[in-house]
Amino acid sequence: MKNRLKVLRAERDWSQADLAERLGVSRQTINAIETEKYDPSLPLALKIGRLFDQCVEKIFVLTD
Amino acid sequence: MVESKIAEVLKESKEVVDHAMEAVAQTKRVYGARLLMRGLLWVAIYVIARGLLETAIEPRSLRIAIALLPVPFFVWWLWTWMKGVRRMDELERRIELEALAFAFPIAVVLLMTLGLLDLAMPLNPDDWSLRHVWAMMPALYFMGLWRAKRRYQ
Repeated sequence: MKNRLKVLRAERDWSQADLAERLGVSRQTINAIETEKYDPSLPLALKIGRLFDQCVEKIFVLTD
Repeated sequence: MVESKIAEVLKESKEVVDHAMEAVAQTKRVYGARLLMRGLLWVAIYVIARGLLETAIEPRSLRIAIALLPVPFFVWWLWTWMKGVRRMDELERRIELEALAFAFPIAVVLLMTLGLLDLAMPLNPDDWSLRHVWAMMPALYFMGLWRAKRRYQ
């Protein structure tokens, strides 16, 4: 699954640690999502969508 | 050429240090100093119990009581660990699960193989008794933890 998390974070000038704190997860989790080594759970994806005020499908794209 | 190699090694070393620092910070965030302190207490009680049991202390009931002495301290440590797992985020929990999924089957296979080898040719209990072999289980868990953490870095 691809995602635009790094771009969205950079637009707001947040560090990975800033974003992790806002989402209540570790920085390692943010890094793993950004590098596409880990796909977040649905609740976390929805939280990310709410934080960036975008629907989940605009942030996360399912690839074949 | 040599300079770039040195720079590469330095960069890799810095990454290892950063990851180690992060692991320490993560453990601190989840457990504070509790896990370490209770773990050290358990190991200390275990070492004392083992030392006492290696002497000719009597009677037998006292020896059994000494052998069981580390158990409540281990349960206390285990309870701390399990409480910490509940406080972890979803990736941290997955890493714990992958560490255990790595360690548990290998421990089973090793114990099974040791059992069979013991039937094939009696093993020297000074080298292969349960009092030595149990230590491979936490070692395997930490190997699994290291492996799982690397996967998500």
